[in-house]
Amino acid sequence: MSAPRKAGGAGDRPDLLTAALFVGFGALGLWAGRDLTLGTASAMGPGYLPRIVCWLLIIVGVTVGGVGAFRDRQEIATPKLWPVAVILASVVGFAFIAEFFGFVAASVWLLLVGSIADRDSKLREVILLTAGLTAFGALVFIVGLGVQMPIWPF
Amino acid sequence: MNFIDLLMLGFSEALTPTNLGFCLLGALLGTLIGVLPGIGPTATIAVLLPITFYLPPLAGLIMLAGIYYGAQYGGSTTAILVNLPGEASSVVTAIDGYKMAQKGRAGSALAVAALGSFFAGTVATFGIAIAGPTLSSFALSFGPTEYVSLMLFGLLAATVLARGPVLKAIGMILLGLLLGMVGIDASSGEERLTFSAVELFDGIDFVVIAIGLFGFAEIIENLENHEARGVLVSKLSRLWPTREDFRRAWPAVLRGTGVGTFLGVLPGGGATLASFCAYSVEKKISKNPSEFGEGAVEGVAGPEAANNAGAQSSFIPLLTLGIPSNNMMAMMLSAFIIHGITPGPTVLASQPEIFWGLVASMWIGNLMLVVINLPLIGVWVKLLTVPYRLLYPAILLFCCVGVYSINNRIFDVVLAAGFGLLGYAFRKAKCEAGPLLLGFVLGPLLETNIRRAMTISHGDPSVFYERPISLVLLIATVGMFVLMVLPSFRRTREVAFQDEEA
Repeated sequence: MSAPRKAGGAGDRPDLLTAALFVGFGALGLWAGRDLTLGTASAMGPGYLPRIVCWLLIIVGVTVGGVGAFRDRQEIATPKLWPVAVILASVVGFAFIAEFFGFVAASVWLLLVGSIADRDSKLREVILLTAGLTAFGALVFIVGLGVQMPIWPF
Repeated sequence: MNFIDLLMLGFSEALTPTNLGFCLLGALLGTLIGVLPGIGPTATIAVLLPITFYLPPLAGLIMLAGIYYGAQYGGSTTAILVNLPGEASSVVTAIDGYKMAQKGRAGSALAVAALGSFFAGTVATFGIAIAGPTLSSFALSFGPTEYVSLMLFGLLAATVLARGPVLKAIGMILLGLLLGMVGIDASSGEERLTFSAVELFDGIDFVVIAIGLFGFAEIIENLENHEARGVLVSKLSRLWPTREDFRRAWPAVLRGTGVGTFLGVLPGGGATLASFCAYSVEKKISKNPSEFGEGAVEGVAGPEAANNAGAQSSFIPLLTLGIPSNNMMAMMLSAFIIHGITPGPTVLASQPEIFWGLVASMWIGNLMLVVINLPLIGVWVKLLTVPYRLLYPAILLFCCVGVYSINNRIFDVVLAAGFGLLGYAFRKAKCEAGPLLLGFVLGPLLETNIRRAMTISHGDPSVFYERPISLVLLIATVGMFVLMVLPSFRRTREVAFQDEEA
């Protein structure tokens, strides 16, 4: 992968994003664990090591960001929102539908919605694939392996 | 029981119809995903992990192991025939293998790769059989102090030897450790970092993280980098290598096996690193290095033997010490844990059939791969023409069912989708997700041992450098850290990994 590199300007964007993620998670961890007992080195409480790890994470994050800020400018590969949104929506939808309407409905939703993430998808193929995979999944996972999920909504 | 008896026990376990069937299934699945670019062994194993819960322990492990080494075979087939390495570990094979194919020696290259891999697999399997009991009896003398030092050494070594910036990898390990701490604290019973969500009291499931980071994130990324795959299949010639090819390939296979077996054992090593090192070794000692890149048979034989040997021998630290050395082995570790088995020195004594059965099945699986793959090459290549738009819905369905089936609840699937988003963000930030998994599986073990060691020493950290084994490991860890800071070493490392990213 070769990200576009522009002459002049500083700041390695992927590095800065990394720094933001690391510092963010470190801070989140510190905040979530603010009430935990620290304990002492010989009798560590539940909060002792999480706090150390969070601070280390923040330090690493700041270092990565600090170094990255002075590197040559480098862009993050442009994100395309369509696949991200479609895939995540189909997955979350699958979970809720599976809970209330059974496997067949959930699988049909997942495969039909999931397929529009790729613009090359052809309607005929998608319908055949959905039918085939749903039947396969119901037989193998639910009948064969005994995954606890109703097949039909009723 | 002596060595032969144990090996016989292993074979009798591995040769039961069920285990043989799962060995074949794993090897075939591995080859399949090795052939298909865009689906790696890590993602496949993540998807299949929840399913192994429904299988007998040994059968599940045999299948997962088969996927790992099967992928090395499959990856090299497409690397040679269409210049499309299915796996990172066969990137170097494509350099000379594809050139050989263009010169009409595709059959010869494929046969050398398959036979070399088989030989290397055999040697590495015996390596595991010999090293296993020795190392694990040594490990029985380990206390919590030694384990802490060993894990610190392993985690740091994994970042140095793996590709990508070291600091980012360390950050990912720390994040993995932090995620591993979510849930009820084992020693005090207090819940921590759960944001009061009852679903998190048992901790985050490994499968949720693995499928999110490797399953979903990979699908999203593949859909984004949408590129037309021009597949140009070279014509298959006679399969059997010429006498000349044999003569030149054998020493390369031997060297590749040595390099691979050694590098596989190191933390962070494994198939990819092994094949790159073997290629540079072959190039260095060759009398006419200019042949490399133009279809030198050594350039196929060495790396192919090495990646297979490395894939096998990376099981050694996991099976003997219970410490996974790369993210594949982290997956294997959690496959053991799903069945309530903690790999390590005690398993070898209490459940020898698991260890020896797995070792024997690796050898059988390698044999199967040679026998099955050479005649099936035509079929594998045809599979390459299956477009991604038909593949990813199937992967998506497997991921979703897999995550849902862990606890039958919506929460896990939504959490996995969240990790998918996170994994996507990390790919944008150019962070490898592998170290995070390593930190996540080792986290609880590391914390328990640190707390135990510190309780025994009454809070005095000097135990870590007063006990000899621990001291040696810590010195090695510090030494590696210093090496990392040295600019000359950093440059060499960057050069070594540059080809890989290209």
